[in-house]
Amino acid sequence: MAVIAATAIALTACGGGTTGPSGGSAGGAASLTLASLQDLKTFDPVDAHIGHTMPFYQAAYDTLILRSPDGKLSPMLAQSWEYNKDNTVLTLKLRSDVTFSDGAKFDAAAVKANLDHFKEAKGTDAYQSASLKGVEVIDPATVAITLNAPDPAFTYYLTQALGLMASPKAVGTAAIKTTPDGSGPYVLDAKNTVKGSQYVYTKRDGYWNKDLQKYNKITIKYLADLTARTNALVSGQVDAALLDPKAGKQAEGSGMILTKSQVDWHGILLYDRDGKINPELANVKVRQAINFAFDRKTILDQQFLGQGTVTDQVFGPESGAYVPALENKYSYDPAKAKALLAEAGYPNGFTLKMPTLAGFDAVNAVYSQQLADIGIKVQLESVPLANYVADMAAGKYSAATFQLYQGEPWVAINQMISTTALYNPFKSETPELAAMIKAVQLGGEQSDELAKKVNEYVTDNAWFAPMFRLNQMYYSNKNVTVVPQLQQAVPSIYNYAPAK
Amino acid sequence: MVSFILKRIGSGISVLLAISFIAYFLLYFSSANIARNILGESASLDQVHAKEIELGLDQPLLTRFFDWFTHALQGDFGTSWFTSQGVVEGLASRLPITLTLVGVSIICIAIVSTLLGMAAAVKRGWVDKLVQTGAVLGDAIPSFVLAIVLVTVFAIQFQLFPATSSIAPDAGASAWVASMALPVIALLINGVASAAQQIRSAVIKQLEKDYVRTLRSRGISETEILFKHVLRSAAPAGLTVLSLQFVGMLGGVVIIEQIFALPGMGALAVQSTTMGDIPLVMGVVLYTVIIVIIVNLVVDLINGWLNPKVRVS
Repeated sequence: MAVIAATAIALTACGGGTTGPSGGSAGGAASLTLASLQDLKTFDPVDAHIGHTMPFYQAAYDTLILRSPDGKLSPMLAQSWEYNKDNTVLTLKLRSDVTFSDGAKFDAAAVKANLDHFKEAKGTDAYQSASLKGVEVIDPATVAITLNAPDPAFTYYLTQALGLMASPKAVGTAAIKTTPDGSGPYVLDAKNTVKGSQYVYTKRDGYWNKDLQKYNKITIKYLADLTARTNALVSGQVDAALLDPKAGKQAEGSGMILTKSQVDWHGILLYDRDGKINPELANVKVRQAINFAFDRKTILDQQFLGQGTVTDQVFGPESGAYVPALENKYSYDPAKAKALLAEAGYPNGFTLKMPTLAGFDAVNAVYSQQLADIGIKVQLESVPLANYVADMAAGKYSAATFQLYQGEPWVAINQMISTTALYNPFKSETPELAAMIKAVQLGGEQSDELAKKVNEYVTDNAWFAPMFRLNQMYYSNKNVTVVPQLQQAVPSIYNYAPAK
Repeated sequence: MVSFILKRIGSGISVLLAISFIAYFLLYFSSANIARNILGESASLDQVHAKEIELGLDQPLLTRFFDWFTHALQGDFGTSWFTSQGVVEGLASRLPITLTLVGVSIICIAIVSTLLGMAAAVKRGWVDKLVQTGAVLGDAIPSFVLAIVLVTVFAIQFQLFPATSSIAPDAGASAWVASMALPVIALLINGVASAAQQIRSAVIKQLEKDYVRTLRSRGISETEILFKHVLRSAAPAGLTVLSLQFVGMLGGVVIIEQIFALPGMGALAVQSTTMGDIPLVMGVVLYTVIIVIIVNLVVDLINGWLNPKVRVS
């Protein structure tokens, strides 16, 4: 679930839509061309992943529930939904006027086929069906989903990979990997699609929601290289692209419009709270000392051209678990940091080994220096991108710099705080925290509010050393209006419209 | 002649075998986290283990290599572990672009460097100095710097060419020409240097030879002497450089492909190697080796045709 916008693997592949010399915009109002940092691996919804590749799926598939740009849930294939009293059964009322592109009808049986297959296939976002116990068809327009425990994020998942509905005829087949078969606003134009280069979709006739279908043709070009992406945007080959602060200057110089949003937090995850590799980190004062060691504002200004907001908490402002008082809890105070270290019994500091990644080298150099200023000697070990997450997850390192997307509270808790979280490799836990997490799980409508306690706990106990929330620098030309999507690396396909 | 070709093909096959094994051997040590990378961050340890068994990652090296090899002999290079696309299919869509880029560049380099080298050798004086200085400059500037400058000036500023590749199934030949123009120019400026130098030296040496004096005394025109006789003798030097450049370019074109977003082999090679997609990497390695063997064979044959002295009996 990590969104590493600025450190995308440098690689290429591309294709084009316009023939002749550039400058011709990517089509008139009827056509939209987007640049994507990541390539689509497969059209099978079972392997869909939150983040950069969602637009590829959204073009061809509908989800049960639609997530609007501000995070609110609204009807899509499901017209309404309701939990039972103890939040273990979710009943959905479905639309009855939807058909898939192969002609099959969308109904409760189709929903069951999709959800059952998703759970059994254990794809990329399998965690979304972790609490799914069973699906029952009540009638063609009603389906009841039973969970094995309350899951505050379940309706959110129905707007993501879990909620993508494929035609029951195509679910689980090999063909769906290369040819999508959904009920979405567009259909894949296989003739003009080149794998690893460009994906072309054309408007689907008879789609049930004209409001979501603003273009006749959508092209998504895979442009992993930042230079190529910037050039493509600036020369008019694509209408919108995600850049970074430095490349953004070139885009701005060419009259591109910036749409900022904050999706990731960046900082150091202090995994080893039980002291398995670094006994020093088991002491909360040591972890707090680390939090006091960094001049976050200056680092943000220097390394990221000021594009972001300094923060000391890992939960995002829109998540509901945000606590304004925690935002600047740890000021830049090396003297205090040293004092805390001395109190903890380490007046001479200690040695800390951290992995580093191309892309984080520059910030890690700064972090090392500021930690050295308070007596902590950092040894950086270079790790190839392909191994970084795996090594962290295996508990090879006691701390690491990373960027993670800030999701809904329950999603975030399962991402890095609970004992089953990928980013909690040592499975740190305390009885009080476990109780707080349980309260969030069973809290129903109060979940987000109860998550504030979890936020306060992990921040007071310095489970992490968050630095800042980084700005996503999304640039678009004047032919397009675009609205950012909450907690998603790139806007949803529904968020684009031709400029008036 | 035929036995020569057969012998070369024979040695080519043994090179292929050796390189396949070495490549597989090297990749074997990088397969630690492949299953995890394929399945994603949220996969459980059980799933990762199951995937490893499915891909055969738990088998010993020789068993895996033998398995891959027997399939490869039948033309079955397997499917990509990450995209489930057939390896041959994936390569087939990428190869034409890289080969066109490299091929066209080499031909352009051959023509330009021949003309420049000969001009320098014949005229000497300021032409010679100009060519030599230009060659050093062209060689010194990295091709990707040239590429970025070309894109900024000709694609963005003057909008004469597309900034990134516009090659697509629906685009015609004009898209290919437009997309390849700037990359070829970048590679050209870089590659002309060494080839021009070689041809210049070879031509100078040839012009000092007796047969040239004899030809002149027979009244044959200077142009005919140059292009028909001297060039044929000077060719081997140039051809050697060009074939080396071709081989180097197959790999070196990666950065150019990246900047211009050309969906070629370079992109595929780097991506699949970084992810550890072994079937795809082996496919790329094999295709590259085959191309190199063919190119070397063709160059030798051309050399032999041009210059009987070089021919192997």
